Amino acid sequence: MKSRKKILGGEIKQYTMVIALVVLIIVFHIATGGRMITSSNMQNLISGNAYVLVLAIGMLMVIVIGQIDLSVGSVAGFVGMVTAISARNFELPWWIAVLIGIAVGLIIGAWQGFWLSKFGIPGFITTLGGQMIFRGAVIWISKSISVPAPKELKIFGAGHLPDFGREFTGMNNSTLILGLLVIGWYIFSQLRKRAKETKLTHESQPVLPLVIRIVLMSIAIGYLTHLFGTGRTGTSFPVPGLILVALVIIYHIVTTRTRFGRHIYAVGGNKSAAALSGVNVQKTYFLTMLNMSFLAALAGIMFIGRSTAAGPSDGTGWELDAIAAVFIGGAAVSGGVGTVMATIVGGLVMAVLNSGLMLLGVGADRTQVIKGLVLLLAVAFDVYNKTQGKKSIVGMIQQNFNRLKKTEKSDNSKLTAR
Amino acid sequence: MSSKRIASLLIALTMLFAATVSIAEAPAGFEADATIGVSLPWLGTQNWMEANDMFKTQLEAAGFKAIVQAADQKVPQQQQQIESMIENGVKVIVVGPIDGTQLGVVLEQAKADGIYVIGYDRMIENTDAVDGVVQYGSIQTGVTQGEALLAGLAAQKGEGPYNIELFGGGPADPNAPNFFIGAMSVLQPKIDDGTLVVVSGQTEFSQCATLDWENNKAQARMDSLLSGFYSDIEIHGVLSPNDGIARAIITASEQAGQEIPVVSGLDAENETITWIWEGRQYSTVAKPTDILVAKTIEIIKSLQEGNGMPETETQIYNGLVDVNVYELPPVAVTRENIEEVFANDPSRMELLK
Repeated sequence: MKSRKKILGGEIKQYTMVIALVVLIIVFHIATGGRMITSSNMQNLISGNAYVLVLAIGMLMVIVIGQIDLSVGSVAGFVGMVTAISARNFELPWWIAVLIGIAVGLIIGAWQGFWLSKFGIPGFITTLGGQMIFRGAVIWISKSISVPAPKELKIFGAGHLPDFGREFTGMNNSTLILGLLVIGWYIFSQLRKRAKETKLTHESQPVLPLVIRIVLMSIAIGYLTHLFGTGRTGTSFPVPGLILVALVIIYHIVTTRTRFGRHIYAVGGNKSAAALSGVNVQKTYFLTMLNMSFLAALAGIMFIGRSTAAGPSDGTGWELDAIAAVFIGGAAVSGGVGTVMATIVGGLVMAVLNSGLMLLGVGADRTQVIKGLVLLLAVAFDVYNKTQGKKSIVGMIQQNFNRLKKTEKSDNSKLTAR
Repeated sequence: MSSKRIASLLIALTMLFAATVSIAEAPAGFEADATIGVSLPWLGTQNWMEANDMFKTQLEAAGFKAIVQAADQKVPQQQQQIESMIENGVKVIVVGPIDGTQLGVVLEQAKADGIYVIGYDRMIENTDAVDGVVQYGSIQTGVTQGEALLAGLAAQKGEGPYNIELFGGGPADPNAPNFFIGAMSVLQPKIDDGTLVVVSGQTEFSQCATLDWENNKAQARMDSLLSGFYSDIEIHGVLSPNDGIARAIITASEQAGQEIPVVSGLDAENETITWIWEGRQYSTVAKPTDILVAKTIEIIKSLQEGNGMPETETQIYNGLVDVNVYELPPVAVTRENIEEVFANDPSRMELLK
């Protein structure tokens, strides 16, 4: 047990959801007769769900501050439509249309943040209003007719990395390079972490667990690289997946290592206490809502890239998918608890369920029932564990987060000392 | 010219010839028990429910394996379903699109895998990854609706001018504007000469459209039209794009204390058959699902045998390429001919009692 803990770096609890996800994938792989874990299905899984996961990142932060955003689907749909219309009607280059779309997203975010932070209108109401306003606006500006999206956007919604040298390696080399970079980075970060710990504790850490950890992780990443890299010629790890990974890294750092990130958890945990200890609650609210609409704008643009057109009912119900991902990932309804990583895993659980059930030919009706039950059971499991006095998954994630905070604090104090 | 050069020229010519021949050759067929994917928009109306069942039974009767799925009116869901069909190794994908413009990327994937794509009931737009579309002529459907409305007004509401209102279908459905255009090609001349009066003045498609074909949205619009424009006058007729919306219109009119207006429809749903038989709804347009499904399967068989897509005279530009369209004529149904139209449909004949 102890040695296992050492190999996994004391983070075994955080992997519960990941293990559940892996088991789910394997079960579906067997049930579908080997159709689940194929390059093309995994590529589809990523590019077909990237936009929901992008929304989920923002939604996590909104839920952590104790609010909720019901408008994200409408905002995504509206921004997608604005982008498509500005490219078609005003014949603007695609990138200007995208910038306009993102600017509109930011303006909408500022609008929602304004009502929440300055007027103190609960996010539920502000964004319920926003949901209606922007749904109506999409239909209004589009006259209820779909508008083709600029061709160049396809790369953001369904694009692949350049394919070269396949005859030498038998796979997509962009993906290969990407995989090697990730492995390299992982080894580097593990070694650096070890050096740091040695320096702090003045005792050398055992080498074997570290080596096993690096080998296991390299095999996992190597396998994924192979999986995504050996699809049809011209396919690779999908570009929307790459955008998602970049965002996950950025927001993981923002939520765990920055002042703004700490403020989000502080405000969500106890608003008054946070205010008394000098956190600008209004500003935190404002920035979180602004950020949510920004991500909704990105999701909307990614979606029209994949759909090749912006439609009047784009985004309907997306807010619920994003919220479900956040709660399956173990966030607390009352706020203050939840992580970006766990949210992504939660979103992937939903995505895998969707994909697996479709491959099995289960209809949309029953899929919906199953997804609803999974959401309920995932949260119930967590609540049950808490009431039984056992460690809750959420608590464990939170604990892990606290641990991180502690190390950071020591980092910070070191900085100030310097 | 050296003999070597002539020889190489000859070889090049032969190769070119061989290449041309192989292009001109009919595409190869596939196994007789291949899997066929059918992606439908949803099962919320009777015709889609019927299509769902008929595709299953008729494809299996023809010896194929069938994957039939419906997407609950959600575009991302439909995209993913089509991808999972590609994963399942289908040879043909039949798509009734939710939004005909939003499937470009996934259908191109299907095409890249050598899968035939057949549009079912609705046009697939803005992509070249479509081999043909089977549908009832959508403009013609609208014309039939418009003519039925005029005939009904003359038969039931005495001399003109008649007060009417217009309803359109879901704007994301590429057929909906065509129904409206077809109907207006019949109604507009009568509006111009004063026989018909659209009291609300709402004659643009975007004003009359019913988002997502939702009946409750149509009913809400009808309620507000009746209270806004018909508090002291009678409404004689309403152009309705389908049966669900027709029922919403009739219900709203009854609740507003109006005599039931002449209402058109589409789909010949069971409930509508009863209503027409009872005289509550004047007409509907039948686009028998079994004929459409049978036509689609006929095309799939032709592909299976290696004969390619059958010849057709109609081509419709989908925004990118001309698509082969296999059009079937819709049938107007009123109380007079209802027994004749459904003579071969025991489940519907059951309703006429």
